[in-house]
Amino acid sequence: MPAVSVEHLAKSYGETVAVRDVSFEVQRGEVFALLGPNGAGKTTTVEILEGFRTRSGGRVETLGVDPADRATQRWLRNRIGVVLQELAIEPYYSVRQVLTRNAGYYPNPRPVDEVIELIGLAEKADDRVKHLSGGQQRRLDVGLGIVGNPELLFLDEPTTGLDPSGRRETWDLIHRLAGAGTTVLLTTHYMDEVEALADQAAVLFGQEIVASGTPASIGGRDLGAVTIRFRLPDGVTPSELPVAGVPVGDGLVEIHTEDELRVLHDLTGWALAGGYALAGLSVLRVSLEDIYLGLTRSGDPGEPGT
Amino acid sequence: MSAVSGPGVDVEVPERGNFRGMSDLRLVARQVGFEQLSFWLNPIGALMTIAFSVVFLILLGATAGTTTVKSYGGIKLLDYYVAGFCGYGVMAACFTILAITLVNRREMGLLKRVRLSPLPTWMLMGAIIVNAMIVAALGVVLLLVVGRLGYGVTGPAHWGPFVVTVLVAMVCYSALGVGISTLVPNADAAGPMVSLTFFILVALSGLWFPIAPGSGLATFANFFPIRHLIDALVGSFGQRGAPYWPWRDLGVMLIWGAAGIAVGLRRWSWSPRRG
Repeated sequence: MPAVSVEHLAKSYGETVAVRDVSFEVQRGEVFALLGPNGAGKTTTVEILEGFRTRSGGRVETLGVDPADRATQRWLRNRIGVVLQELAIEPYYSVRQVLTRNAGYYPNPRPVDEVIELIGLAEKADDRVKHLSGGQQRRLDVGLGIVGNPELLFLDEPTTGLDPSGRRETWDLIHRLAGAGTTVLLTTHYMDEVEALADQAAVLFGQEIVASGTPASIGGRDLGAVTIRFRLPDGVTPSELPVAGVPVGDGLVEIHTEDELRVLHDLTGWALAGGYALAGLSVLRVSLEDIYLGLTRSGDPGEPGT
Repeated sequence: MSAVSGPGVDVEVPERGNFRGMSDLRLVARQVGFEQLSFWLNPIGALMTIAFSVVFLILLGATAGTTTVKSYGGIKLLDYYVAGFCGYGVMAACFTILAITLVNRREMGLLKRVRLSPLPTWMLMGAIIVNAMIVAALGVVLLLVVGRLGYGVTGPAHWGPFVVTVLVAMVCYSALGVGISTLVPNADAAGPMVSLTFFILVALSGLWFPIAPGSGLATFANFFPIRHLIDALVGSFGQRGAPYWPWRDLGVMLIWGAAGIAVGLRRWSWSPRRG
């Protein structure tokens, strides 16, 4: 049974469509990234999965139950953790107090000291929340999401506002949680975050899923043209190359091809036979960001969601 | 979670319902403890909530002398002020502070976070309201002590009606606090909207100066619950021995409390409005 199953999910607010015909699955133990520009419907989708919002249509199961079923909502919330897009922590409590309070809501919480260590706030454990920096508060926010020892963790843009080291620490934490079997569903704007964390990803645009797959293959990323780049050997002009190349400055040449194996074979064969060095030889595949921008720039984004 | 087992069967059956018996009641008590902690961790806010009514009592009591209030059966003005400010303290804690707290928590996203935790709504709201009632009760006790030590006010002649009135007021004003919090569009507006409403109604209800029953102002003020709270509490400070139960005042407060619940249920939002 998947951790999350969504079929033809739809949500409207009156005439405004927030999400339409969204379908995907998140397997247990998987890190799943939901990508999309602001207003694409990411947060709405996640909030429906959490049981915070009701849906207008379609079928949704979170850990095997309908998140809109009020009778099983407490059971479900005992098993999920949520990190909201915006910081929401009482300013007067200390780090330890706020974590202790929330730990008491869950039947099998993670030890508070362990959470404090995991989020790197051991030295700030007795400081009031209002005295923490923005990044430290964000880490505490993540701590509140995991203190219940969740089977399924929802992270709504968890590294927004963090500095680079804070982002890396949060990524490490997510890696460790995923390694321990926690299923993670995250929304993000950062492509490097998707590549670093996600097993599977889906792109929401215009309130619909427009692509899904692994970060390496999403949007046909593994099937498209590649760029072969190298430094032109001394005394060789581009016209002498066995395959047509385009000078791009600084002595570099690029060859764009969908037949990378044959081109590399011809090129390296020519270099070996002529005794040339192909300095800086690299094969560049289209980036995830290129794929994402291609998917989200084309066409009408439709009506805004949330 | 329970499990159904058998040959080839191992199915997790989600537990249904939102009440888990005694463990839930312990959780409510624990949540009340954290609400109290949160309240006292902001000492300026706590001081303002409780000290306001005491300061007003001290200031007005100092000018009252031996004046009596004819419209309340010749009760001493000092008794009137002690009783009236007990009502003021209840309203401040259960209406004003509760409403502002709820708006701030909603707009900060704190209500949404709790909503996404396993803590059921009834526990959260129960703990918030019980916390407000504890603060209100502390204020009432402090006012009675200050009245006795500072001005020799012996306290209510009718303790039963006084306590019942305070309890009913706590419940009704908490309900009104929840109701009005849903009408406030954002955190910036919470203080001005709630406090202004509160102070205007308090002024019209005769707390600062007794209003003669039957006057136009009294007729207007009778429509609102504040004058009924003050009347009921002042009445409980009246002549000893005379039977006294302020049923009508309690009834009016309960009707307003029900209205507060109705508004709250209809307009409640867990998400920030930021309108």
